Order: sequence, then C-alpha cells, then structure tokens
Amino acid sequence: MQREEKQLEASLDALLSQVADLKNSLGSFIYKLENEYDRLTWPSVLDSFALLSGQLNTLNKVLKHEKTPLFRNQVIIPLVLSPDRDEDLMRQTEGRVPVFSHEVVPDHLRTKPDPEVEEQEKQLTTDAARIGADVAQKQIQSLNKMCSNLLEKISKEERESESGGLRPNKQTFNPADTNALVAAVAFGKGLSNWRPSGSSGPGQPGQPGAGTILAGASGLQQVQMAGAPSQQQPMLSGVQMAQAGQTGKMPSGIKTNIKSASMHPYQR
Amino acid sequence: MEAPPVTMMPVTGGTINMMEYLLQGSVLDHSLESLIHRLRGLCDNMEPETFLDHEMVFLLKGQQASPFVLRARRSMDRGGAPWHLRYLGQPEMGDKNRHALVRNCVDIATSENLTDFLMEMGFRMDHEFVAKGHLFRKGIMKIMVYKIFRILVPGNTDSTEALSLSYLVELSVVAPAGQDMVSDDMRNFAEQLKPLVHLEKIDPKRLM
Repeated sequence: MQREEKQLEASLDALLSQVADLKNSLGSFIYKLENEYDRLTWPSVLDSFALLSGQLNTLNKVLKHEKTPLFRNQVIIPLVLSPDRDEDLMRQTEGRVPVFSHEVVPDHLRTKPDPEVEEQEKQLTTDAARIGADVAQKQIQSLNKMCSNLLEKISKEERESESGGLRPNKQTFNPADTNALVAAVAFGKGLSNWRPSGSSGPGQPGQPGAGTILAGASGLQQVQMAGAPSQQQPMLSGVQMAQAGQTGKMPSGIKTNIKSASMHPYQR
Repeated sequence: MEAPPVTMMPVTGGTINMMEYLLQGSVLDHSLESLIHRLRGLCDNMEPETFLDHEMVFLLKGQQASPFVLRARRSMDRGGAPWHLRYLGQPEMGDKNRHALVRNCVDIATSENLTDFLMEMGFRMDHEFVAKGHLFRKGIMKIMVYKIFRILVPGNTDSTEALSLSYLVELSVVAPAGQDMVSDDMRNFAEQLKPLVHLEKIDPKRLM
C-alpha cells in the first residue's frame, strides 16, 4: 500500500512538472503570436510547435511509464466547499483559483468532455461504424501508402541536393596543377629560361692544355655566344678580365694558372 | 660527402640554423574566393595583404655535380622594400612522422644591386617568374596563395603569362632547428582547409 502511495506521489510530481512546462511554452507561444505577429517567421512558429509536440510526447511517456499507477482508478472527491478565499489554494494555483466553491469545482474536477465535444465524438464513432470494416481497412492502407510515398520523395530530394552540392566542391584543386606549380617553384620547370641539363656538354671544349689560355677563352666565348641569352654578356666580360688578370700577374706559375683557367668556375 | 642532417648539428658560429617547414597545395581559380574567405576567418585578423614579387633563381656551377642555388626576390608593388636573398637546402627526407617538408633556410635582406653582385660572383640566372597573390599569417605560420606567371621576354616583367589555372598555396614556418612540433601545428591547420585544398609535403625530386 505504501509503495503504491509513494509511486502515486512520485508520478503526480512528474506529471505536475511536465504540465507546468507545457503551460509555460504555450504561454510564451501565445505571447509571441499576439505581440510579435508582424515579425514572426514560419521557422519560429515551427519551433514553437515542435517544442509543444515534444512536451506532449514526454507527458505521454510519463503517463505510460510502468511506475505510474492507473490514474483512472483514482477518484477525486471534494470534501469541503466554502465560498471563502483560501490562501493555500491561491498559492498553489498561482492565483488562478482563489475560492474552492461550488462554481469552481464542476469545471476543475470534471471528467466528462464538453457536451459539444461529446456530440462530435459520438458522431465520429457512428460514422466509423457505418462504413464497415473493409472500407475502413482500405482507407487506412491508402493513407499509409500516401504518407510513405511523400516521405520517400522528401528524402530523395534531400539526398540528391546534398550530393549535387558535393560534386562541384570536389573539384576545388587539381593535383596535376599542384605538381606543375611545385616543380616550377622548386627548379623552374615550365618557365621560359629553363634549359635541360644537356647544355653542359658544349662546355667541354673549353678545357685547353698549356699555353692555350686565350684560345680556351675564345673557345668558351664561342660556346657562350652560341646558346646564351643576352644576360650572359656582362658575365662574359668578367670572365675575360679575370683570365687576363691571372696571366698578367703570375707568368712563372703558368702551369698553375692554366690549371685554374681550364677548370674555371664559369664553365658550363 | 653526405653532410649530416642539419637538425643534428650544434649551434656554432653564432648563428642558429633556421629550418623552413613547408606544406604545399593548389586551388583552382574558381575556388579562390572561398579559400580566401576561409583563410580570413582562420588566420590572424589583419588587412588582407597582396603581393607582387619578381623572383630570380641563380645557379653557381662548381666542380661538384649539383649547382649552388640562390633565390633573389624583389617586390614589384612596394617601392623601397629591400631585396630578399634566400638559400634553401636539400629537403630532409626519411622521417615519416614529420608531416612537413623540412629544409635548411637562410634569409638575407639586401640592397638593390643584388643581381650585379651575384653576376660578378659568378652566378648565372637560371629562371625567373612573377608571383602575384595573397599573404596570411597565423602566429608563426605564413600562408601564401599566389599565381605563378612565366616571363616571356627575359628581363621584362610586363610581358607575363600565367603558368596554370591554379593558385599555389604554401604553408610555411621558419623556425630554429629541432622544433618538430611545429609540423604538428601545421598539419592541424592544414586539416581545417581540407575539402578546399589538400596541403601536403611534396618532394620536388619526385617531380624532376
């Protein structure tokens, strides 16, 4: 008995909190609709609806919870009705119900639905009974089919738009271009002044023996003029001057001079 | 003779070996705008910076098989800025855990007679190009998005032609040797650019 009482109390508390949440969100939604109707956007309304539906869902879950006793089996009987103000009641209902009197009780403790609602429900049940079981089944099936078709269409659209958005994004870079650019920056591949390494061959004839320094220089000159763009000219005169300087300075060490001249650093 | 990897060499001679950590990728012209927007959001808040540079690469062929390469860069749109001379070593390969390309780097600001000086030293210009693009920074990371233009008439920077329909995207950090956690930060940043650009370490030797 005690366990049931405790369960009842616990479930009542849970229910109370859920209902309070629901009331708050309803209140804020109504406020939004009344005061901000000119600024309201459809997504914002959808959000409020989603919130309400979520809360109703949790309320349902609480009611269906196995630990909740069947409230249907509980009966609320008013014990004392008085036309005086009741402070406790005021506090608990946040000022909405000041008096627990015979006007208030039928509304608050009602278990039957409103007469209009009761009428409508009776109408609907007679209609449903009138149609007959097979027709009802067919109607149910067609409704299900239409819903599933709609769902499929929506999900297909979503998937297609996603993948369509992905495809152009994939080609934001080209690996071949990456390689070409890196090669250009690293060693000048593809830039106009790039010459293949085979051009170091013509430099060989520039290695003279003894006493043929000038001949070697002229040979070098020929080689350079053959393949070089105009930038090589200033360097060429530098080569000639350096070699003339060497031979003029040390006539005794001709051999060493020749060696350094033959293996000069300007050789290609 | 193989030089030992620069990251193992001690600090000597009063200068610290600076390493450049590099990740490269590219983006097609039509996606440039979205990349720029994303970079503006990700990077430090500053005025978008554009640059127009002319870079010349000089080679010195000595007795060794591989020539010595120096890169000289000058700004075409900022008058009075110093020229920039840069040496980049061979990339250090082999460490799979390192997510970026690492190479030794020496940067020097010079005066305007740099090309004459290099010519007198015996360097010969190998190739040149014009780079035009945008520059972003995030902390110590530098992100450059630029288009490479081929120079049609040597020496004339007005007659240029774009090399490809893409912009090159480079994420680089210049840091003292030995700080490998830098490459982790770079990789995390590169992840944020992922579907637009794939920044990765590209070995230039593979593209020869």
